[in-house]
Amino acid sequence: MIVELGHYALIMALATSLIQSVLPLAGARIRDNGLMAVAAPAAITSFLLILLAFIALTVSYVTSDFSVQNVWENSHSLKPLIYKFSGVWGNHEGSMLLWILILVFFSALVAMFGSNLPASLKANVLAVQAWITSAFLFFVLLTSNPFNRLNPAPLEGRDLNPILQDIGLAIHPPLLYLGYVGFSICFSFAVAALIDGRIDAAWARWVRPWTLAAWTTLTAGIAMGSYWAYYELGWGGWWFWDPVENASFMPWLAGTALLHSALVMEKREALKIWTILLAIMTFSLSLLGTFLVRSGVLTSVHAFATDPLRGIFILCILIVFIGGAFTLFALRAQTLSPGGLFAPVSKEGALVLNNLFLTTAMATVLIGTLYPLVLEAVTGAKISVGPPFFNLTFGPVMIPLLLAVPFGPLLAWKRGDIWAVTQRLYLAAGVSLLVALAVTYFATGAPVLAGIGIGIGVWLIMGSLTDIALRAGIGNASPSVMWRRLIGLPRSAFGGALAHFGLGISVVGIVAVTAFSTELVANVAPGGKIQSGPFTLEFKGLKPNSGPNYSELQGAFSVSRDGENIAEIVSAKRVYTARRMPTTEAGIMTTGPNQLYVALGDETPGGGTVVRVWWKPWVTFIWFGAIIMSVGGVVSLFDRRLRIGAPARRKAGAAIAEPTT
Amino acid sequence: MTRKQKRLTIIGGGMSVIGVAVLLVLFALQDQIVYFHSPSDVVEKQVVPGTRIRLGGLVAENSVSRGQGTQVEFAVTDTDHTVAIAYAGILPDLFREGQGVIVEGSFVPGNTVFVADTVLAKHDENYMPKEVADTLKEKGVWQGSEATQ
Amino acid sequence: MMFWVLAAVMTVAVTISLLIPLARHRQTTTQVDDTDAYDVEVYHDQLREIERDVAGGSLSADQAEYARAEVARRLLKASRGENRSVYSSGGLGRIGQWVVILILPLVAVVGYLTIGNPGMPSQPLAARVVPAAPTNGGGDIRVLVAQAEKHLATNPQDGRGWDVLAPIYLGLNRMQESETAYRNALRLLGPSVARHTGLGQALFAQSGGIVTAEVQETFVAAQSLEPDNPLSAYFLALGLAQEGRTDDARSGFAELASNSPADAPWMPLVREHLVRLGGGEDMADQSAMAGPDAAAVEAAAEMSGEERMEMISGMVAGLDAKLRADPDNLPGWLRLVRSYMILGKPQEASDALARALEKFDGANEARQALMDAATQFGLEPKELEQ
Repeated sequence: MIVELGHYALIMALATSLIQSVLPLAGARIRDNGLMAVAAPAAITSFLLILLAFIALTVSYVTSDFSVQNVWENSHSLKPLIYKFSGVWGNHEGSMLLWILILVFFSALVAMFGSNLPASLKANVLAVQAWITSAFLFFVLLTSNPFNRLNPAPLEGRDLNPILQDIGLAIHPPLLYLGYVGFSICFSFAVAALIDGRIDAAWARWVRPWTLAAWTTLTAGIAMGSYWAYYELGWGGWWFWDPVENASFMPWLAGTALLHSALVMEKREALKIWTILLAIMTFSLSLLGTFLVRSGVLTSVHAFATDPLRGIFILCILIVFIGGAFTLFALRAQTLSPGGLFAPVSKEGALVLNNLFLTTAMATVLIGTLYPLVLEAVTGAKISVGPPFFNLTFGPVMIPLLLAVPFGPLLAWKRGDIWAVTQRLYLAAGVSLLVALAVTYFATGAPVLAGIGIGIGVWLIMGSLTDIALRAGIGNASPSVMWRRLIGLPRSAFGGALAHFGLGISVVGIVAVTAFSTELVANVAPGGKIQSGPFTLEFKGLKPNSGPNYSELQGAFSVSRDGENIAEIVSAKRVYTARRMPTTEAGIMTTGPNQLYVALGDETPGGGTVVRVWWKPWVTFIWFGAIIMSVGGVVSLFDRRLRIGAPARRKAGAAIAEPTT
Repeated sequence: MTRKQKRLTIIGGGMSVIGVAVLLVLFALQDQIVYFHSPSDVVEKQVVPGTRIRLGGLVAENSVSRGQGTQVEFAVTDTDHTVAIAYAGILPDLFREGQGVIVEGSFVPGNTVFVADTVLAKHDENYMPKEVADTLKEKGVWQGSEATQ
Repeated sequence: MMFWVLAAVMTVAVTISLLIPLARHRQTTTQVDDTDAYDVEVYHDQLREIERDVAGGSLSADQAEYARAEVARRLLKASRGENRSVYSSGGLGRIGQWVVILILPLVAVVGYLTIGNPGMPSQPLAARVVPAAPTNGGGDIRVLVAQAEKHLATNPQDGRGWDVLAPIYLGLNRMQESETAYRNALRLLGPSVARHTGLGQALFAQSGGIVTAEVQETFVAAQSLEPDNPLSAYFLALGLAQEGRTDDARSGFAELASNSPADAPWMPLVREHLVRLGGGEDMADQSAMAGPDAAAVEAAAEMSGEERMEMISGMVAGLDAKLRADPDNLPGWLRLVRSYMILGKPQEASDALARALEKFDGANEARQALMDAATQFGLEPKELEQ
């Protein structure tokens, strides 16, 4: 019965969302406070209803209720419990339900904590959220209903795609969705501001923490996804410029730009219109990402099962929301009052530069992702746009941006002194240059670009350290004063510095692994030896093994360095019983920041086995840096000033209510 | 600087960045994209040797043979034409005879063998690379069911 | 019933939660919301921040002065109070009430009745597997299998369990699982003729009817335990035939034939092979006996009489239903006809055959295969005429 109650709750949530989309908006228009007040309880109720639906689906998964088609298609009674939970969103229908759950959760947060927002802004924001909710509820109920039933129920499920049976799957999509959907709040605020024709000072204060939270989870989600693909696909790569990866990367780029422009807007009330545009763009890209992943118009190494009807439905949602928002923007943008002035060389100027480069980079990724689609639709020619395209376009756009990053935080608002800032960065520049030269000199055979790339990474790291040191007043204050200042620094200062520091770490990892990793494919017989990096691997042979729902052939390698045995790596070729699906389990050994990565191939007629071995120096820095960036986001989020948000209503200006009696 | 000059500086800087990016994109789209062909296209259109292309089709039955070390030879077919492929490396888990694959590489001048450096077969047992599926549908040999793809 | 009660409670609760704000504001005619007041608060807060930054040393005095001046300018502008909004609750609020009262239950109930399955109970696996045994008397073989699988998942070292399950899988045509089960049974309980021959058949079926080296090895192992085992003899001879060693194969089949009673169920098959290999003329006159193939006999021989009948009946009924839904399955039809003959239901067998022939009308190869099989299974030609 819980299944049907969940289904009913989902439909009920649609009804509630429809009311929430219309009444508050009408209320704000005709200034009726009763109608506007419907928004908050409706948002909270929708959240509770969809939570109930989600719980119902989860219960079905945990109890292996195969009368629910979705459970039958994606679960198996023998599946470990954790994958029964994660299986709920390991498929199209369930993941869309999770998407909506997160969406209404955010609406409910605005409803509960938005008492310090002007009444009409709050009503409009919640109404816009409800439009999105309604559209996606229609989508789920009509094309991807997770509550379709089977009667009679099959006895055993078809199991979850084994590649998805991984702890990475349990965490990756929810994080990614928190990011994607978090930007919906920014979108709703932007559209609400356009409807109202004014941007309150409280606007930026609300939008910035939301952007920050969404950006933080998106960063973590992308990093997780990248690491997951790295060890689960067994291809040794961590980023493929695959359409699905681009789909999450584009909102990240736009979101990063939004994060920085919202900062200008909050502090200086400048760039208002641009920020609104970015907020719309970021969520539009999230929607586009959802469309690309769900519709199957693009093939990808990560795609879920796809269905053309769903694609058309999401495309319609996409056109209505993106088209509608941009039309509204075109109509109303000029009614918004322009913001403060600033000189080109100033913190604002630096942030504009940041925005310019980020959006340009985003545009190159967008072109690379959509060009094959457009070309095929127009000329019928089928092409693939791969890493060479992105390396040639995205790379050159990013390099000047990365070079400029350390200047930004040091420049003053409104009018900055670029030479003074340059002087302060002498040390950072010197260290980076030395490192770059050292890398070029010592790493013989490595491309010159490697030295430059690592130099840029070090430049970012040193730049962020310089920023914090200068804020603490290094050089012109006693250690105790410096310490006091350091403690007194706003958390957002640390957050920003951490994010830039993490970016530097990631850059170092990316450059190092691109320039210095070695790959070797060999056909080895048991007892055969392979040399990779500083290590020698001895193949110990294959042996069969079986797990709860798979059987596998394990290939063991003993790793030695300078004749000393230091570790054992086991890589496996696994076959999952229920789907007869083979996968490769890479064997990975981590030493410091480096990794030795072994993937097993086929057996050859001569009794040998094809083995692929990568030596990947500094590779973990890529994800480690992304984690530091996320931590920076979290630290910033806990900044006292952001937590305060807009302050509570002042008594004198509070609403005056007069009883009718 | 006057207000107007400030604005012009910002706009000018922006335009130049975007201009450079546009040039890069145009250049990359000229040179760095890879066309997809079916074996029939290859035979009919005479692909210039040395051009990187993607070739998609089904792995022909009984065509896979292992050579020295990691060398593998097989053939990709769209049932009309067949192209011989040489590849050194690990084949994807789902590489099987009769399975749809995409290989990327080029023809060596003066030879009819396609030298591939990448072989893709997707991680889903029902998977058929989209380009391959489209081509096979055109040829009328597609037997996958639409609903469960 | 319970479902509708809960659904109704839910609907009413949601409706009320939306009506409360409408009703509350009906008592209030006007409300003034000074939008600028919110901005004023933000600017005050910004001023306080500047003071904090100065105190913390991260902002110099002149910078602070500059910032203060700017915020103060904005503060002044906002304090004029130009953006006051006056709200009231008019007649439209009443329309809102009716919208909530009507739309909410209407959309929910109509929507649900259209796409939902009212009253359909949840069917968690645990609740289905346990009571299934007593109520159906173990009738549904699939439930029993699921139960056994569950048991073995938690006790994978239970060799007895694997041993019981393996032939059932074989009978259900789940060859992969049967192979695994036989292998586990062999590993845990040691070799036996039944396990080796069962495994051999599972492998044989998976290799698509080829006696591979692995199949051969398995039957050799069975033969070493029991030299007279007819299954081993049969498959080994078949293997020889497939290798093209016709003479060796013929002598193998002939030996099997001479060691078996004339009415043994595998005799028709053996005779057929002998005829095909060109050495069975002396036996061709013997009447072709109705009989199932060796595999089914072997599988069923593992059980008691009652169990066997139940297992087979359930299995055959399932197959029949499957073929009605998906008739494009020639091997399935062959198996169905054969199974009905095993069960001693020639009427059903010829009925199934008729349906199959009808299905494959025009496909001569398929029809020929069906007719051949029917003769082999012992269906009389006149029954075939029907």
